[in-house]
Amino acid sequence: MQKVVTMKIELPRIPDIELVALEGLDRLSRHMGISEEKVGEARLIVTEAIINGLEHGGDVSPKVDVEFTMTKKELTIFVRDYGKGFEPSTVERPDINKKFGTGHKRGWGLQIMKSMSDDFRIDSNHGGTRITIKKLLS
Amino acid sequence: MEQSFSLTSELRQNRLVIVTSGYINNIGGEAIAKEFDKHFANNVKEIVINLEQSKVVNSIGMSFLLEIIEQLHDVQGKVVFTNMDPAVEKMLTIMGLFEFAGKAANVDDAMRSFS
Repeated sequence: MQKVVTMKIELPRIPDIELVALEGLDRLSRHMGISEEKVGEARLIVTEAIINGLEHGGDVSPKVDVEFTMTKKELTIFVRDYGKGFEPSTVERPDINKKFGTGHKRGWGLQIMKSMSDDFRIDSNHGGTRITIKKLLS
Repeated sequence: MEQSFSLTSELRQNRLVIVTSGYINNIGGEAIAKEFDKHFANNVKEIVINLEQSKVVNSIGMSFLLEIIEQLHDVQGKVVFTNMDPAVEKMLTIMGLFEFAGKAANVDDAMRSFS
């Protein structure tokens, strides 16, 4: 039977709190015997998902729920915020050429998460946003 | 866990070499930009950023590097990133940074790429 480990944490909006999740992810990886190189991209995906959720999570419930489910073959990352949500299809794909000449250089998070993941799902409504990402580890 | 951000810098042949350590978030990105600004004001237009000790970065920190790349592009300058973790290199590629910036295995290779 395939070994599965799960970790759930609730992160408040305080500076660099995403590093706590990364520490947990590293410990899970070591426990499962997965090399640091294989989780390198996952670490950046997790970072983007959490800072995105905390930034857009609003002030009513400024926190994100994070859940990792890991096997030797894949990692599922779930991040939920409690903001007002958004319509993902309206988010324009960022283009570095369009960023030049403007004061707005940000807006890369979704594109990075989508491009680095093996499966990416987003569910957003007025109660918040849920992002589910799969990352193959083998 | 990844430690707090710090950087060191030196001038080599009028080229600025910045070596970062730790998480490049908004604070790290801003620190890099400030270091760059000091030297850019003195007409330094060729920059190397060694990311070997920064295996975790975020897109907010990287947005500060876009400012640097844009300023250098406007004056025919150049920035070269070196010693990148593969995941960090992939992230910068997704952002399109290498359309305007170089990459090299190490600082010595980056220095040679300018000449």
